[in-house]
Amino acid sequence: MSFTIATSLDSALAALAGGARPIAGGTDLVVGARHGKAPLPQDLVAIDRIAELRHITETPAGISIGSLTTHHDIETHPLLTSLYAGLADASALVGSPATRNVGTVGGNVMNASPAMDTGAPLCVLGAEVELRSVRGTRRFPLKDLWAGPGRTHAEADELCVAIHLPRPADRSGSAYLRLEYRRAMEIAVVGAAAAVNLAEDGTVTDLAIAITAVAPTILSGRATGLVGVSVDAAAEQAAAFAAAQATPISDVRASEAYRRHTVSVMARRALLAAARRAAGEHVPTPLNRTTGIGAAS
Amino acid sequence: MTTATAPRFVRADGPDKVTGSGRYTADLTLTGMLTAKFKYAEVSHARILRLDVSAARALPGVFAVLTADDVPDVRFGGFVQDRTLFARDVVRFEGEILAAVAAVDAATAQRALNAIEVEYEALPVLNDVEAALAPDATLVHPAWEGYGGVPVLVRDRNDAAYTKLEKGDVDAGMAEADTVVHSRYVADGCHAAPIEPRAVVAQWEGNKVTIWSSTQVPFDARAGVCETLELPANRVRIIVPHLGGGFGGKCGFHFEAHVAALARAAKRPVRLVFTRREEFIAPDKRREGIVYELETGVKADGTITARRAWLAIDNGAYTTDAGFFSQLATMHALGPYRIPNLVAEAHLVYTNHQPSGSVRAPTAPQSCWALESHTDEVARAIGMDPVDFRRKNAVDTGVEGPSGQVYGEIGVQQCIEAAAAGAGYGQELPDDEAIGLAIGWWPSFSVPSGAYVKVDGDGTGQIITGAQECGTGSVMTLRQLAADEMGMKPEDFELVYQDTSVAPYDMGATGSQTLFNNGRAVVAAAGQVAEQLKALAADHLEASPGDIVLADGQASVAGTPSKSVAIAELAAIAAGGELLIGHGSGTPPGPPPIAGSSCVGDLGMTAWVAPQFSCHAVRVKLDRDTGVARVLHVSAAHDSGTIINPLAAQGQVEGAVLMGIGQALTEGTRYDDSGNQRNAGLLEYKLQTCADAPPIDIHFVEINTPDAGPRGAKGLAEAPNVATAAAIANALATLAGRPVRQLPMTAERVWETLQAAATEQEDGQ
Repeated sequence: MSFTIATSLDSALAALAGGARPIAGGTDLVVGARHGKAPLPQDLVAIDRIAELRHITETPAGISIGSLTTHHDIETHPLLTSLYAGLADASALVGSPATRNVGTVGGNVMNASPAMDTGAPLCVLGAEVELRSVRGTRRFPLKDLWAGPGRTHAEADELCVAIHLPRPADRSGSAYLRLEYRRAMEIAVVGAAAAVNLAEDGTVTDLAIAITAVAPTILSGRATGLVGVSVDAAAEQAAAFAAAQATPISDVRASEAYRRHTVSVMARRALLAAARRAAGEHVPTPLNRTTGIGAAS
Repeated sequence: MTTATAPRFVRADGPDKVTGSGRYTADLTLTGMLTAKFKYAEVSHARILRLDVSAARALPGVFAVLTADDVPDVRFGGFVQDRTLFARDVVRFEGEILAAVAAVDAATAQRALNAIEVEYEALPVLNDVEAALAPDATLVHPAWEGYGGVPVLVRDRNDAAYTKLEKGDVDAGMAEADTVVHSRYVADGCHAAPIEPRAVVAQWEGNKVTIWSSTQVPFDARAGVCETLELPANRVRIIVPHLGGGFGGKCGFHFEAHVAALARAAKRPVRLVFTRREEFIAPDKRREGIVYELETGVKADGTITARRAWLAIDNGAYTTDAGFFSQLATMHALGPYRIPNLVAEAHLVYTNHQPSGSVRAPTAPQSCWALESHTDEVARAIGMDPVDFRRKNAVDTGVEGPSGQVYGEIGVQQCIEAAAAGAGYGQELPDDEAIGLAIGWWPSFSVPSGAYVKVDGDGTGQIITGAQECGTGSVMTLRQLAADEMGMKPEDFELVYQDTSVAPYDMGATGSQTLFNNGRAVVAAAGQVAEQLKALAADHLEASPGDIVLADGQASVAGTPSKSVAIAELAAIAAGGELLIGHGSGTPPGPPPIAGSSCVGDLGMTAWVAPQFSCHAVRVKLDRDTGVARVLHVSAAHDSGTIINPLAAQGQVEGAVLMGIGQALTEGTRYDDSGNQRNAGLLEYKLQTCADAPPIDIHFVEINTPDAGPRGAKGLAEAPNVATAAAIANALATLAGRPVRQLPMTAERVWETLQAAATEQEDGQ
């Protein structure tokens, strides 16, 4: 058993090439090990001190978020809480303040839980994930990262270094909403994210929907070049997508039927909130707190 | 908020707790100390065919492995002697202990547990309380008839305590009614869930053992150790460091004897610290699930003519302290109402679930939930406003309650008015909001209790009390009582508490009884010292002791304030002669009379000394698309007599309301088909968090009830946990158009209720 502290990206990648597994905030890895979900890996490389992986950078194309960016960084960043509000909606809901101070967006997406909060908004915002190893760099749509609960298509030696989001068009907005039974220390029962672009007349030209905790991975869909679709009609499309795509399980948190119903409610509400933001209305993040517990008014 | 008249003061243990300087049981480390772990049954009902601990014993670093063969063959239990320290022959719930291990560290102890071999023959699992009552049901305890028990208990097969309360002629009463409403409600079990998981440390010196334990009831814990390990009381010393919450879950005798037996066998000190999962599955304590069938006859003018109540209470696998639950739940299912004719029956039913036991106001919140939901159904059936219905039918001063007790001065009607007004009952509300209201009650338990008070030569005092501080602040309040009695300040006193070898007996932090009974003891003890001080002052001031007044740290002659001497000076004089020592317990008030009712299985619960009353009115917002309910505001009114410590009283109500919201909406144990808990962890067993807390307005109705505790104080630790869930239920029933018939009223259950209502409406069209 070994524990290495990497101070540079190169040394972290070298450790991964040697078979170590990365740890940043440890909010999934350590908690999971303590609960007997999976033992701690034999060899760990701590990546939390690699400064170059913790950044939020505006680029000509949009924004790059280093994988070590914490949920707290995201929920308090002015650009993310405005242009990319759906992501801030999600990060602001993760666990507790303590969780959000150490938990990272890279850890959230690489942990590949179908109940992760950031996955759905990142998908509707068109996120790409950047993976790096000693062998090189790959960059591809985030929605193609996940292979199943707790499994990704990343190779064992690849490290998530950044998530890239394109700059949203004018008159666009995004939102994430989850069903929750309490307002802190909670996990999504179901969730949904939506992003929309509006035409000048207020109709929806493009929409994207992603749903949380109702399938082995986050599922997302997108429709572009729409003509004459009202926001309400788009909201019904979002709800229909969620109901059709969801393949939820029954567990101690909720039954299959309840999840299937509520995920469509969340999708409809997320789309409506995204459209309000697209129309220039200030809908504060997180949406869950603006609209009550898991519920829009 | 109504502010009580007494001054506000900060509790003595507060700074230690918030700065981290306070020590809890798990903080203790003794030289050579070993780690204890338990091997649990993990199945709910099975015969043990083979239990082999030899491989575990052979492991290096393992100092002791104990099973039933290694401790005295004692069957124990306060009401029914149905329990043993370790499983013998049969396991009856998943958390039953097969073996205990003491090893050098946790990893070694875990390896030892893994090396224990056990083979079972599966037995039918009793997972449903009504099925367990069936005449042909498998018996949880086939040898039940041979068990010792309290003679008055009416036991039969899986029924550990049957009770039946009758008054008047229920058939005639029903015949007299214009409307009869029948309701069925089912409450799931739930947990005390203290944030400090329990811990026990034991160390032997010669033939004496000292046990540090996170218990609410050190004397009860001592009695359990003495009984099961066959030791006299004076060789067992229980000390309780700071307690990190209990909520009743740490009442009773649990694991002190296991750890003491391990320490004796290992010849080393041993420490047990529970994981969160163990805290959920292993203790003989969780709030009991109950099935209710309620029927009330009512006249068109709202007069109740009769009530029938039938209850089946989930006892779990062993009876522990739940023997009185049948009778207590019966009283709560009848409620503080004028009911001339009634029959109420309750069964305490063995199942293969974790044993039930006293969790904060045992049987009350769920019974109040069922009864008060039913009460709103009755009011609705005759088109009467539910608050008016309660105004008309709730008991009052001088009125006869359901058991035939006629109440002295009580404040239930005032509570109704205060809570309704505080909630703005009757105001115009949005379509997705409603206010529900419920009333509750709770007995004061009059029991023996003792304390010493001494004042040393420098004029500082100590209160040495048997009472246990579990976080309510009751023990902290004792300083105020002693200080007032002796004309000193609360800060002049330090508290010495939670040590069975130092202080006189007290029942512990249970039954909201600390201030009621130990307050009486401290007043008596302080009164003795006050008399000593007065005698000394009389000598010193050349006055009669009867004319001496103790106030502001001075003893002075009444009417002549200039003639005075400092109490500290008197203490210095006393230190050279007769020491200032007082002791007291006072006389507990006896039970009030009742008339007109008869009771089978009567444990004395039909007559309540100084009963406490409450009314909660709660505004709830319902998201009809998801069934998610949010409590927006709580108005809580309490008749707990005189409020002596307002800050602590406010804390008790706020905490209990939040606990009540959790019990109403998000808590509740889920069992799988095998009778094992599915949500034995804090992610899936959802306590409310501070972020969920609504504004809580508190109204204290300070009534001078006869036979109350010191200065007219009654209890307040459990009473505020009685009516919250019921009030939420009534708001939800208004919003959903019908009651949610299962507790907790989870979002999904509310949604199902809404679906059923919608389907019925469609079918009707």
